[in-house]
Formats: sequence, C-alpha cells, structure tokens
Amino acid sequence: MKRVLIQDTNGKLKKETREFLVSLNSQLRDRGLSSEVQTLMAADIGVYNRGIALKVLPEGFTYVNLEQKHIPEIIEKTLLKGEQVAGIAREGSVGQMRIVLRNCGVIDPESLEDYIAHDGYQGLARALELGPEKVVEEMKKSGLRGRGGAGFPTWMKWNITRGVQGNEKYIICNGDEGDPGAYMDRSVLEGDPHSVIEGMMIGAIAIGATKGFFYIRAEYPLAVERIQKGIDICYSRGLLGKNILGSSFSFDIEIRLGAGAFVCGEETALIASVEGLRGYPRPRPPFPSVKGLWGNPTVINNVETLANVSYILCKGGEAFGKIGVEGSTGTKVFALTGKVRNSGLVEVPMGISLRDIVFEIGGGVLDNRAIKAIQTGGPSGGVIPEQFFDTPVGYESLQKLGSIMGSGGMIVLDENDCAVDISKFYLGFCVDESCGKCAPCRVGGTQMLAILKKISHGKAEEEDLARLSQIAQAMQKASLCGLGQTAPNPVLSTLKYFMSEYRAHVIDHKCPAGKCSSLVSYRITREKCTGCGMCARVCPADAISGSRQDKYTIDAVKCISCGQCFDVCKFTAVSRQ
Amino acid sequence: MAMTKEDLLAIKNKTLAGQPKNWIRVGYSTCGIAAGAKEVLEVLSGEVKARGLELQVKKCGCLGLCSAEPLVEVSVEGAPRVIYGKVNKDVAHKIMDEHVCQKRLVEGHIYEI
Amino acid sequence: MSTVTMVKALINGKPVEVAYGTTILEAAKLVQVKIPTLCKHPDLTASAGCGICIVKVKGNRKLLRACCTPLEDKMEVTTHDSEIVQTRLTVLELILSNHPTDCLICGRNNDCELQKLAAEFGIREDRFERIVPEIPADKSTGTLILEPKKCIKCGRCIDACQNVQDVWALSFMDRGFNTRMAPAGDIKLADSPCVRCGQCSAHCPTGAIFEHDDTRKVWDALQDPEKVVVVQVAPAVRVAVGEGFGYPVGTNLTRKLYAAFRRLGFKAVFDTNFGADLTILEEAGEFVERFAHGKGALPLITSCCPAWVDYLEKYYGDMIQHFSSAKSPHEMVGVLAKTYYAGKQNIDPSKIVVVSVMPCTAKKYEIGRTKDMFASGYQDVDISLTTRELIRMLKHAGIDFNSLPDEEADSILGDYAGAGTIFGATGGVMEAALRTAYFNVTGEDLADVNFYAVRGLEGVKETTVNIKGTEVKIAVAHGLANVKHVMNKVREAIEKKQPVPYHFIEVMACPGGCVGGGGQPYMVTDEIRQQRAKGLYDEDSAMTVRCSHHNPYVQQLYKDFLEKPLSHKAHELLHTTYVSRPLYNK
Repeated sequence: MKRVLIQDTNGKLKKETREFLVSLNSQLRDRGLSSEVQTLMAADIGVYNRGIALKVLPEGFTYVNLEQKHIPEIIEKTLLKGEQVAGIAREGSVGQMRIVLRNCGVIDPESLEDYIAHDGYQGLARALELGPEKVVEEMKKSGLRGRGGAGFPTWMKWNITRGVQGNEKYIICNGDEGDPGAYMDRSVLEGDPHSVIEGMMIGAIAIGATKGFFYIRAEYPLAVERIQKGIDICYSRGLLGKNILGSSFSFDIEIRLGAGAFVCGEETALIASVEGLRGYPRPRPPFPSVKGLWGNPTVINNVETLANVSYILCKGGEAFGKIGVEGSTGTKVFALTGKVRNSGLVEVPMGISLRDIVFEIGGGVLDNRAIKAIQTGGPSGGVIPEQFFDTPVGYESLQKLGSIMGSGGMIVLDENDCAVDISKFYLGFCVDESCGKCAPCRVGGTQMLAILKKISHGKAEEEDLARLSQIAQAMQKASLCGLGQTAPNPVLSTLKYFMSEYRAHVIDHKCPAGKCSSLVSYRITREKCTGCGMCARVCPADAISGSRQDKYTIDAVKCISCGQCFDVCKFTAVSRQ
Repeated sequence: MAMTKEDLLAIKNKTLAGQPKNWIRVGYSTCGIAAGAKEVLEVLSGEVKARGLELQVKKCGCLGLCSAEPLVEVSVEGAPRVIYGKVNKDVAHKIMDEHVCQKRLVEGHIYEI
Repeated sequence: MSTVTMVKALINGKPVEVAYGTTILEAAKLVQVKIPTLCKHPDLTASAGCGICIVKVKGNRKLLRACCTPLEDKMEVTTHDSEIVQTRLTVLELILSNHPTDCLICGRNNDCELQKLAAEFGIREDRFERIVPEIPADKSTGTLILEPKKCIKCGRCIDACQNVQDVWALSFMDRGFNTRMAPAGDIKLADSPCVRCGQCSAHCPTGAIFEHDDTRKVWDALQDPEKVVVVQVAPAVRVAVGEGFGYPVGTNLTRKLYAAFRRLGFKAVFDTNFGADLTILEEAGEFVERFAHGKGALPLITSCCPAWVDYLEKYYGDMIQHFSSAKSPHEMVGVLAKTYYAGKQNIDPSKIVVVSVMPCTAKKYEIGRTKDMFASGYQDVDISLTTRELIRMLKHAGIDFNSLPDEEADSILGDYAGAGTIFGATGGVMEAALRTAYFNVTGEDLADVNFYAVRGLEGVKETTVNIKGTEVKIAVAHGLANVKHVMNKVREAIEKKQPVPYHFIEVMACPGGCVGGGGQPYMVTDEIRQQRAKGLYDEDSAMTVRCSHHNPYVQQLYKDFLEKPLSHKAHELLHTTYVSRPLYNK
C-alpha cells in the first residue's frame, strides 16, 4: 500500500490544500485505487514555504509547489509505477547528519546492550589496541575541535596533557551547559549517555588518566540519573574499574554536580568547584593541561566533543575529517529556538549556510513574520543580520561576523524583537552569573546593564552610547575569564548592525520593534473599531473603556503597554507606535 | 565476569538478532517528559498489554524535533515506519487502533522529515 | 644541586633576564618599569582580580595580568601604550564608581591604595554613575571594623584569613555585583571563628577593614588632669614605627619613642620588654616544674599571644592543661603599674590609666578578656593601641619625630634584658625562655645564649636543645595555619599514650611573630619581617644583660613585691586561666 502525505508548507494554503486532497481522493476513487493508496494530511514533511507539497511512502519522493493539474501524472507515474515525476520533485534537499545524536531517539539510553548493538564501545576497544599516541593521531586526522565554544583542537589538548609529567591525571566532562536556550549536551547525556562515557575513556587512554569526572549542572537531574545508571552498569559489567576489556587500562568515573553557576562552565572555575572551593576562575597560565585539578594535568572536554570521540575511534578519523569543511570538520548540533517554526535540536555538517538551517530545516520564521537576525553563541555571541545568512557555519566564519558558534545556541529573531532588548537580556544574564572576582566584569557588566536599562526606558543620552563602548572594550580586554571577556559581545554586535534602533531609543525615545514597553504606546483607531470589546476584556490594567455604540478608547495614563489588546484585535484597530 | 572484546561483538550480534519486528519508540528525555510523554507511554504500553500484541514499546532519547514532543516512532509490519508528533492520550489510542491494528497512518500528526 | 632555567625577554624593548617563574611584574622592576597594581599584595598569592596590571604580550590577542603571568623566553612585553593605559583607566573608573566618596572622613585618608592609584591615574571626573550598595558596618568585635561598602573585592583579607591563618572567619558572600566580604553564614564577626589577629586589616588596601581606633580615648585621658597616664611599648613596635617617618625598615627607635611619649604627656614610660623578662621568669619556672620535677603536663605551650589564646580556647580546649598560665607581658606590666608602681610612687591606682602600644589588634580584645585582666582591682591595661594608631597620633601631636633626642624609660618597669626584646620575633619567646630555663635547671649561664635554630621564617621550626645532657624537644610555630601541624602531633601522641613529640612549644598567631602583627604598618613582606626582626636581634646582641633572670629591676620586683616566681602573689597578679569555648559542636 502506498501512502501520500500532504502538507500546506506555507501555512496559508489551508483551503487550497484541502481542495487538492479532495481532488486527489476523487481521482483515486475514479481509478479504483482507493484501497491501494492512503492519503492523509501530515503535520510536517520536511519542506517549507513551497506551496502544497506531498511525500509518497515507501519511495520517499517529495513533490513541491503542487497544483491540481499535477495529480494525474502523480497517480500515473508514481502511484502506479513507482517512478519519480520530474519537474515537481523537490530539488537539492538539505538534511541533517546525525553523528553526535546518532543514537538519540534510536536506542534505549538505559540499556547497555542497545548501545553495544549500535557499535557501542568498539571505539574503546580500538583505542586500547592503538595506544595513546595513535589515538591522538586518529583525533588529529579527524580535525575535531572543542564543541564547547572555544574550538581548540581536541588532539592538541590531549597531546599537551599526554606530554606533561604527572602521577595523577584527570579528564573531566563539562556538562555544565549554561547558555540560555542551549540544551544539546543535555539531550546527549540523557539520550546516549554511553557515547560520552566511552568518549571520556578514550580520552583517558590518550592522556594517561586514571580518573574521570562528570561535572553536570544540578538543573539536569535526568541527565545525572542516566549517566549514573550508565556508570553503574559499566562497573557491573567490567567496562569501568580495573583492567577494562582485559587490558592494563583501569579507570574510574565519578559525577560531581554543579550548583547553579554559569561561570562554572569555565574551565578553571569548574576545577575550583570540583575542588570544593568557590567557583572562581584562575589566571592562566598555568593551563589546566599542565596544572589543573588539585594541581594535576587535567583535560576538560565538552559533552558533544566526547560524543564525537567515540564515533571517531569507531569509524575512523579520516572519514570524520571528510565531513564539514576545512578547518571546521564534522558536524555541529544547534539548539534552534526563538521565532522559528521547528524549534529543537538540529545536527548539520559544518559549512551549511545559516539560511539553510533556519529556513530549510527550521521551517522558517513563525507566523511568516519578517526575520530580523539570527543570534548565535549564547551570551558570548552576537547577532547576524539577513545579509549574512549565506555564510557557511564554522568557527572562523562566524567569528568574522562578530559572533561565535559557541556551544550551539541559535535563536531566530523577528521584527518584533528589539535589538536593545536582546542585548539587555543577554547582558543581564551575564551580570547575574558573574562570579564577582574581577572588577572589569563585576562592575563593568553592571554599569553596562544600567545604561541599557536607561536606553530602553528612553532616558539615555548620546554620551551613554560612547560609555557603553568604552566599558565593553575594557571588559573584553581586562576580564579574567571568558564570561567577562565575551559578555559585551551581544551589545557590540547589536550596536554594529542595529545602531539605528539604538539611536531611535536614545534620540527619538522610540522602540521600532515595539518591545520596550516604556517607549511604546497603543491607540485605538476609531474608524476601524467595531466595538467588540475584546481589547477591554484582555486588558490587565483596566485601561480600555467604551461600548459597542461608542467604540473603545485606551487611557494612556493607565496603560502599561503590555500589547495584549494589539495581539487580540482581529480588526487591526489597535495601532502601536 | 568482566567483559572482553569478544563479548562486545557477541552482545552486538545477539541484540541485533533479537530485535523485534514490531516496535514503538517513545521520546523520553526531558523535552518529551515535559510535554507529556509519560502519559503517552502508559497508554501505549497499556494497550499493547491489553490487546496481547507482540510489540515492543521502548523509551528512547530526544529525536531533536522538540517543538513537536511528545514524539512517538512506530514501526509495524504492513505500514511504513513513521514518526508521530504532538501525541497525547487520544492520538496514542488512535495510533494503536488505526496504525498498529488497521495499518492506516493517523491523520495530522506525522512528522516525516 | 638544582639548575635554574633562565629566560630572556624584552620589556618595553629592553632586554631582561630572569629565572623562570618570575612574574612579568617582578621582571619589569629590573628595567625600572613600575606596572600599576591594586589587588596584588607582595605578601600574598596573586588573585588576578582587579585587572589593573594588564600588559600586552606580542602574539597574544588577550591582555595578560603581569602579577601572575610568568615571563617566558623570547616574550615581548609592552607595559604602557595608549590602549593599555585607556583600559586600565576604565577599569579603575569602574572600581571607583562602586566605591563611596568618604575619603575625607575615612581612616585610610592619605594612606589608601585606591586613593593613591586614582591620584596616579589622574582621575578628574565620575564617568559612570555611582552604585554603592548600602551594607552596614560590622563593629561587633570592638577590635576590627568591617565596612563592606568600602571593599573593592581584592580578596586579600580572605586569602590571609583562610589560607595564611587557616581561621576562615572571612569569606565572600553572594556573587557578581552583590559580592561582599563577610563571615560565612552572614553572622557577626564576633560570632565567627575570628581571633582578631588583624592580618585582614594589615593587608586591606582601603578602609574596608580597619582597626578600632582608640586614639581619642588616649587623648582624652592625657588631657584629664585627674588622670596619671602611663604608657608601655612592645618590642615589635620600636622596629616598625620608623616606617611611618621615612626610616629604613627595622631601624630600632626605642629611645626616640620614649622621648615622644614624654612629649605626648605620659607621666611614666614603661617598656613591655620588662614584662617579657618577667614572663620568662614565670614561664621558665613553669617549664622547669613540669620538665624537671614532673609537676604538670608536657608539652608546655606559650600563651602570650591573645589571638592564639582565643584560637586555643576554640579549637584545642581539650589541651588547656598544657598552656602556660602566665599572662602576656603587657598585661603583667599593666597589673604591676596599678599595684607595685602605684605603691612605690604613692599614686591612687584608680587614677592610673595604662596605655599599651602594641603591634597587635588582638590586644584590644585581650584587655577585657576575663576578670583576670582586672587583677589589680581595676582594668589592668586600659587602652591598647596599634603601631598604626601610634604613628597617626604622633603625626597629629605636632611632634617632629625624626628630630627627637634619645631619652630613657622609667626603669622600675622599663629596663630590660636582650631576652625581653627578642619577644617580638618568632622564636624569640622560646629563645628567651631557654636562656633562663638552662639557668634554672643547671644553676649556670650558657656560654652562648644564641639559639639560631629557633630563629627565621620557616613555618614550623623543630629542634632539640641539650641542657647538660638532657634533651629538650622544642617546636616554634608562627602563622595560625602552621599550628595544627604541631598541635595535632601532640594530641595524637597523648591519645595514643605515646611519648610527646615536644616538651616546649611557642606559638605566635601572626606570620613572623609580632613583628608581622596585625597592627603593624601596611605592606609587610617576608623581607620586611626579617628586617624588623633583625632590628631586635641586633639590639639583643649589643646588650650586656641578655638573660631575663639577670634583669636587676626584675630581681628587685621579686625581692620587694612578688617574693619569687610562681609565688602566691605572682599567681594572683601575673597568671590567668583558660576556658574551653568550642566554636562548633563536635
């Protein structure tokens, strides 16, 4: 039996799609094929903004921009003969490549057998055969760079630590994932814990570590539970402890919990936290590779990095190195969120364009609004406006635009998002999470936030924009750790690309996006008002009064500019300025 | 007995050989659970038991399409393997009735991406 | 023999060669470059907080902190260019925007590191809005005042309290902009483990931790015609007070101090070193009782340091029987001033005000510690001033200190032996006690009274002294973090009923002993501690009378008043008791 899945991929063609379906069903009936073909509306067939589209199973042919005139050929060629119809077939599909997420959604994360059935621990077995030097070689061939954000070549970090003399070496998995909106690591820890455990063990072999730690933020209880289960199972089956897989390699793993501090995702602060001290970063040099946990050579790797490691040792570094682009090999998992249709985790090969990620995989902007920018890299990143959407994703390419890839946060902003508000949000996050050790971040961040608040309330002067810039530079140059050094990035990035919005706030006391409530006012246009009273009903401040006869008006004094009336009015009688 | 390298291969082969022909996977990470996967899992497991079906219902991780959670992937003989999204109690029942038993895909919830 | 790797690098274009491990900050001094710093204290590990000492290193896109970055081979460092200077300026302006503008009424006016930096950097405007959180001061100890409003979060006090002293009374609370310095659990300092050693105040760059200023009380007393105000000065003060007047560190200004005190209006000038000699007579007596006659527990542990007394009552209350019951030297002089001296001079003791000038902040708490400090019938020592307060008083008093002639003290409670003056250095009490203990046991004086093994800045000094064939095992610990090494060994031996590892132990809470006291002039380093100690050891070597038991005025005191060491009267006036006051329930 064939299945035809149909979808209105623009979101605006409900009627037309229904009619298409009716016509298709009727033609199938005429041809006596009703019992051979099931037709149904699907929720999503992976194509966006291409009119009426359909997908045929089991073949998987996808046809786009359909009209009823295409139906006969579809029936004739595809449904009867199983052949593809040219001309309406979807061109050049952009797809995800699941390496890090290879087992997520496939295996039972609490089952060791399921993991092994999918080539689990083959990488470990191979690493034991190869030995430390060759393992590093393999990693070098893969070109894998740290996925936590810094992008430091993993092979190099391991090699340095391998070369440092030390009785006791450690490897730590950084599961403190703190970027707002980023949850890639959480999904891997929950969905495929063994891939990270295996990756850690391979790293331990490379550097000569006998003890490993998982540092997982306490806000991820399920991840902690699944990793702990994974560790326990490994111990019970001899995959952890002494003489693993019959070799001379012995390894122990322990979980340490974070306690609500974003700064503890920074290497040296993480180490301080594991040591039981206040999560304060430490000056580098010495680097953790040389002098880390309790003064010993330590490697800290991100969850996603380690999930890649187990794959690389299993399938080979060279094969991995062919994925992506030069300098940024492999894939990257992005947490695509914001004003996008399909928010979730997407894993794509490096080099794919931002446009493809957001529009081809993400499905484009919610409610078909105009896109304003894509924010990448979380609180350390920046905004990327539309003119750069064809930029291929990679470490250096995003840096050139004034942003970073970071840990993979990707937030879609539309016309209703205000650049000032976005930078205020991220800076507010950094100020909240600042550890307070160094003055540039502790005071600088607070001062910058105070200025941004002034701007969003329309109380700033032009001089304040210069002050913002001055503090931002000092923070970037003089902060002790990455948190302070990169906290100004969203501000600097929005200043660079959306200066006009800042100036509107400062000089005209207006918020063009309509977000900053102090600068937005709402009016009801009498001519458009039908007197339905919906606005008055939703107003939380009792600021709207009137009647069906007299129409409705907003009392500007009582109005708190929440925008509820604007959202609810079906007649666009409420205007915003 | 501690595992050896040979054991790895043996376990792999044994597990693969024992894969059920009919299975349902329910996304059971934080995103799924938060969206209501627990109830969906209960309905599906309950129905499988009640109907005495040879069908494995298993928890799995996050498929990545988090805005469509709860996600349920269904693979039964006689129908193509598909992923259903925004599954609730009612949709879960429909999946059992229509997809599993009648081999007819359920309307409006397929995420075939 | 270890080989030291040398590195060659350029700083501002000038070649410099240093041992590997030398920081850029230190290396720069060799080419006459002063990189500005704020949170770095030469005595403490760099915390790398403030961000003032940033420099450029060729090839590194980040600015690095000179205070903690080691100079590497072939590094090219730029310490001053317009970008660096502008960044430092902004950082300082940010710090200032978080600081109150109380300079004119702050105790650190004209002596504040932040003020100095602001002046150096030529700050002329408040570029940023001032945001200073309202946090109330903590005056609960009456000794040290915490003013978190003025704190610049440099972390020095916490490093000193946690790592150097191992007391852990202070910590950082909250985080980010709300970070403040306070005892953990947000309790009052008086309820915390604080022993008032004052190391925090001695390292604080601003007025955030400041000693309780008692100079006003002294002025008031001096101006009261009814009162007879007398003063005594500790050994460690005489070799440190000069630092407030431009003298080289360690200059021994004893006789100038006596002259200054008389100009200030003190009716009698005593010397705590006399009290030190007295302490030795009592304590050496105690030691011989226990060691030679088996009367009492060994080891005997010194107790002249009040911060140490507070610490022992909190944490080693189970070992109280080991502590010498002798009071500290200045308390002895105090009680004698109001009894022996008052009697001899026919002065109504109720009119006598005794002022102690000490290197110590804990003495402020000691003078009211228990009723034992009122053994004369009145408060034996009325006011305790720190060296820092004395320096301010002298400047306030309109005395040209540098030009004063040398004068003498009142010998009755003012003359001392060399053994008395070395009390100010770590190991000094032990050395002084050994000189007299030897005499007490053998009846003879040592040919060489110098005990070099107990001198110096090593945290724990252990040695064995031979008293005519008998071995006496000694330990000297300074800096409270080193106490546990010695005390735990003793406690373990006692628990396991094994022979004790030491017979006699000296403990000084402050690193270096009293010369490094919490009330001494700012910016102490190990070098300065050594120089101040040298000032005392040199004085000792030059004296004719070097042993406490040969101090004629001490001998006179026993003959006329106390009868003999450990007599009933001596116990009444010169000894105290201790109470176990565990801080945390076991």
